[in-house]
Amino acid sequence: MQGLVIGLVGAEGDGIRATGQSLIGALAREGYFGLLSTRNGARPIGGESSCRLRAATTAVLNPGGAPDLVLVHNWDAYRSLAGELPIAAGTVVIHEERAGNPPATGPFWEVKPAAAVPAPFEELAEKSSGVQDAKVEIVLGMLSVWLGLSAKRVSGGIASRFPGLGAAALKGKQRAFSLGATYAENNPLPRDLKLDPLAAPAGDRRVADGNEMCARAALFSGCKFFSGHPITPATEAMLYLQREIGSYGGSFLEAEDATAGAAAALGASYAGIKSMTATSGPGFSLQTEVLGLASVAELPLVCLNVQRGGPATGMPTRQEQADLFAAAFSSHGDTVRPILAPTNAADSFDVTVEAFNIAEHYQTPVVVLSDQEIAQTKAIIEPIDPDRFDVVDRLEPTRAELKDYVRFEASESGISPISHPGVKGGNYLAAGFEHDERGTPTLNGEIHARMNRKRLSKLDPLKGRRDLFVSEGDPDAQIGLISWGNVAGIALEAARTALSQGIKVKILVPRLLYPVADEVYADFFKSLRRCVVVEQSHQGQLHKILRMWMSVPREFTSVSKSASNRISPLEIVQLIRAMEQPANDSFKSHYCDLLNVL
Amino acid sequence: MISTDSEHRGGAKSGHCPARAYRGELKPTWCAGCGDFGVMTALFRAVGAVGRPAHEIAFVSGIGCSGQIPGYSAAYGFNSLQGRALPIAQGIKIARPELLVLVVGGDGDGASIGGGYLPHAIRRNPDLTYLVVDSGGNGKTDGQFAATDPSARGGELQRGALEALENPILFALTYGANFVAQGLTADLDGLSKMIEDGIRYPGFAFINVKSPCLGCGDLEMQVLLQKAKMRKLSSMGHDSSDLERAIKIAREDGDSLHAGVFYRNPNPPATFGSKVKELKQRPAKAAAEAVG
Repeated sequence: MQGLVIGLVGAEGDGIRATGQSLIGALAREGYFGLLSTRNGARPIGGESSCRLRAATTAVLNPGGAPDLVLVHNWDAYRSLAGELPIAAGTVVIHEERAGNPPATGPFWEVKPAAAVPAPFEELAEKSSGVQDAKVEIVLGMLSVWLGLSAKRVSGGIASRFPGLGAAALKGKQRAFSLGATYAENNPLPRDLKLDPLAAPAGDRRVADGNEMCARAALFSGCKFFSGHPITPATEAMLYLQREIGSYGGSFLEAEDATAGAAAALGASYAGIKSMTATSGPGFSLQTEVLGLASVAELPLVCLNVQRGGPATGMPTRQEQADLFAAAFSSHGDTVRPILAPTNAADSFDVTVEAFNIAEHYQTPVVVLSDQEIAQTKAIIEPIDPDRFDVVDRLEPTRAELKDYVRFEASESGISPISHPGVKGGNYLAAGFEHDERGTPTLNGEIHARMNRKRLSKLDPLKGRRDLFVSEGDPDAQIGLISWGNVAGIALEAARTALSQGIKVKILVPRLLYPVADEVYADFFKSLRRCVVVEQSHQGQLHKILRMWMSVPREFTSVSKSASNRISPLEIVQLIRAMEQPANDSFKSHYCDLLNVL
Repeated sequence: MISTDSEHRGGAKSGHCPARAYRGELKPTWCAGCGDFGVMTALFRAVGAVGRPAHEIAFVSGIGCSGQIPGYSAAYGFNSLQGRALPIAQGIKIARPELLVLVVGGDGDGASIGGGYLPHAIRRNPDLTYLVVDSGGNGKTDGQFAATDPSARGGELQRGALEALENPILFALTYGANFVAQGLTADLDGLSKMIEDGIRYPGFAFINVKSPCLGCGDLEMQVLLQKAKMRKLSSMGHDSSDLERAIKIAREDGDSLHAGVFYRNPNPPATFGSKVKELKQRPAKAAAEAVG
């Protein structure tokens, strides 16, 4: 097979996470591509959990559709996480023998799987080492055979996973792996799910998630200060920087709340240091006053907002794209702050470097709008070539300019040289209060209008950044998709599938969400009679923002789902097919049925 | 750029400078007789005594009348958000430890919206000085009740307050601040000396300043009340290393207005900056290594 989706579900002690991570590590070593998303039930530690691993011989754009293989350790765990791994007619289910037979009908699956076969995970684990915690190795042994992976590479990960483990215990684990492999050899799957061998040897790929890639990009960009408050699902970005930033000559502050996190980062930026904060929805709501201050004081600041289901506490461990309105509009007064959205883990690196560059060049806060799916999904990533990137620093005043320094001096670009405490002659007042070019506080309406114009129009060149958009498909197509964030990977795959089936369609993926790059969209809209924005929120927030700023095609529609409801590439292919039909009432009802929304 | 890497601002580069060297060009827009004039004078005198050049000073404030003080100085200023001055200032200090960082705000900043930041600044112990200009009322919006003691602004306006009062000195002492003082604008010499001491103290210094406010009531009466109720800690024979006694006196504040250093930890614990510096003593990596 060129690719497949594997699901693992179990309760505490079944080693679901460990199994998934070992497997994706082995796939990376082998040279395959893959994505691993992990879900917990309500309990933060322990309790039920699931893994969805999509593996393929070519780049994987999204977590995929219905699983080909699901390993169930525990039926209650599956019941609680069934939405993650919906069974389809082709799915093979392997379940713990001791858990008994799966129910024939009911809440477990609406569609009958291709097969539901028992396997003695627990019994083999006991046999191998006398304890159940060898289940991970038993399952890895089975999967290495069933998927056709190198036993050496898969089992090779065991020793590195337990660096402190004694020789005897390690031997027990290796024995478990062999027992699992032997079992699989004697019990082939009812469907062949072996991955195709790779045509060419892979480069030095590694497994990382979006949070790690944002953090790495920050260090790469010269970020020397991070402050933030832990919050799901952004915490890993903070933890990575906490661990690493000192080695790069930077400092870290675990702030008492998200506001303080943004405020301290803004303080560091005022002191002339590239800085960043990271948060998720509830923290982002708190930070908006700091972002407003950064806009008026014209100070660079990168704010990573890893979206989760909202509003308020919402659904902390589930993905959603419903913070776009908040990112664009949530501070009082006239502000425009650039918003960038990565589409996957590797892209998180590029987008974050871009965010730092834009923040520093334009002296503005920039929001990186990641989401739980991108941030916490482990992905197999190609090596990053550092020479691909320029790193931009803020414009500093010259010696001549420091003789009579005017901090907010009018310039054609709207960008004025910025000094920082410690620079002799560069002394100025940064203020939330409106001010003139010298930073002098004012209540004068003319000055306010002039400074508003400076602060807003300096960002106009961003709208011409075509490099921040991905466009694919038939340029003359009459139907088109727009999609962003993690959903873009789903839409992109669907568009490619539709194109390969001879359907004339095109797709636009903005990584710059705000300000709205009107010319880029206008060009895209030219040939379109029908356009759908595919995203994940109840309101379809990008769709609404585009309607606010753009003349849109006659049939310009939103297809959007609330948090935690996966959209599969197949659903979007069906949507594209429906879009191809002549205009009639059934179009709307057709895709509404498809996605069960609106 | 700055050549010295000395974290503590009482360090090598200090030398007396006249207070006017720190005065900016703008004319204050405070009401005539406002206590902020006195606070600013005392501050500039203290900074002058320490003698750091103006460009090495970052002066952070919240909002409101006292928040304007950085704008009237020749130093770098940041007139920020209500209540958020402390985290902003800590970001500056951590990012550039060689700077002298001063924070000023009103009692709204320090005891109301920003009250939650004080314990964290105290437990981190960054080397910065925080001045709360405490008028005991919301002057700018017409003298509504505030969290702190309004007795220095006269009894008339106290009617109608339903809440108990916050005692900023007791608050700071209880959370473990290592330098805690209270000054009165009626005693400018004492005030500027204690600000200077606070700046020179190696760690977080908290100074509450009782300051009259026209928006909160009759100015003349407030000045008279300050003078009548003032009790200098030095003349009470208070030993500033005695924390128990400091807490005892702080509990009685209000009936009398105590002026002086309540507590100065004679064994200053490590500052946040020194701990951050330690963490940086690891093998250095170049930015390009971050690609992995």
